Amino acid sequence: MKNNVKLARVQVDLTQQELAEKVGITRQTVSLIEKGKYNPSLKLCLAICDVVNQSLDELFWVDKEDRAK
Amino acid sequence: MMKKITDERLQLKNLKNIRVLFLIQTVGIIAILGYDLVTKGMEGMTANPLWLVFIITGVASAYLSMGISIDHESSEKSPKKGLIISLFVSVIVAIGFGILITLTGDLATGTLIGGIVFVCCLAPSLYMYYLRMKRQN
Repeated sequence: MKNNVKLARVQVDLTQQELAEKVGITRQTVSLIEKGKYNPSLKLCLAICDVVNQSLDELFWVDKEDRAK
Repeated sequence: MMKKITDERLQLKNLKNIRVLFLIQTVGIIAILGYDLVTKGMEGMTANPLWLVFIITGVASAYLSMGISIDHESSEKSPKKGLIISLFVSVIVAIGFGILITLTGDLATGTLIGGIVFVCCLAPSLYMYYLRMKRQN
């Protein structure tokens, strides 16, 4: 599913590796989340939100029409 | 040194791998038991310790599935009614077994086998009742 993780990560000037280390996952998982190929748990979503200082809405909200993609 | 995996995606993958490993082991055990059945007959197969492993896994799997099916079934069913029906069926099955064994053997063995069958039916019924009661709270 689409999300704004990549945008938010670039805004706070973090690499995938740095974000991964901060939330305790691997770089590959960050990459998959950004590409929308892995559905993170709510817990992980919140951890990412904390690191990039944005809300769940801003990072992960997708309009109904786009959800099927 | 091995680091503990904190990545949830990899943890999930690990669990899925374990599922594949379980499948391989199960196929292996069935193959070995099948070989024993063909070469040594039923007695030879049940003498193999793997038979015990197989049976215990089957029983554990049945009990674990109960926890899932309880959550899956509709919640309108009354736990007490379910327990009474299971007890009734257990008694009938146990008496049936007891009578059949008594006809071919003696009364003591019949009573013993009937009792064992009853306990074997009683345990899962009580467990189901316990799970249903727990869900209601």
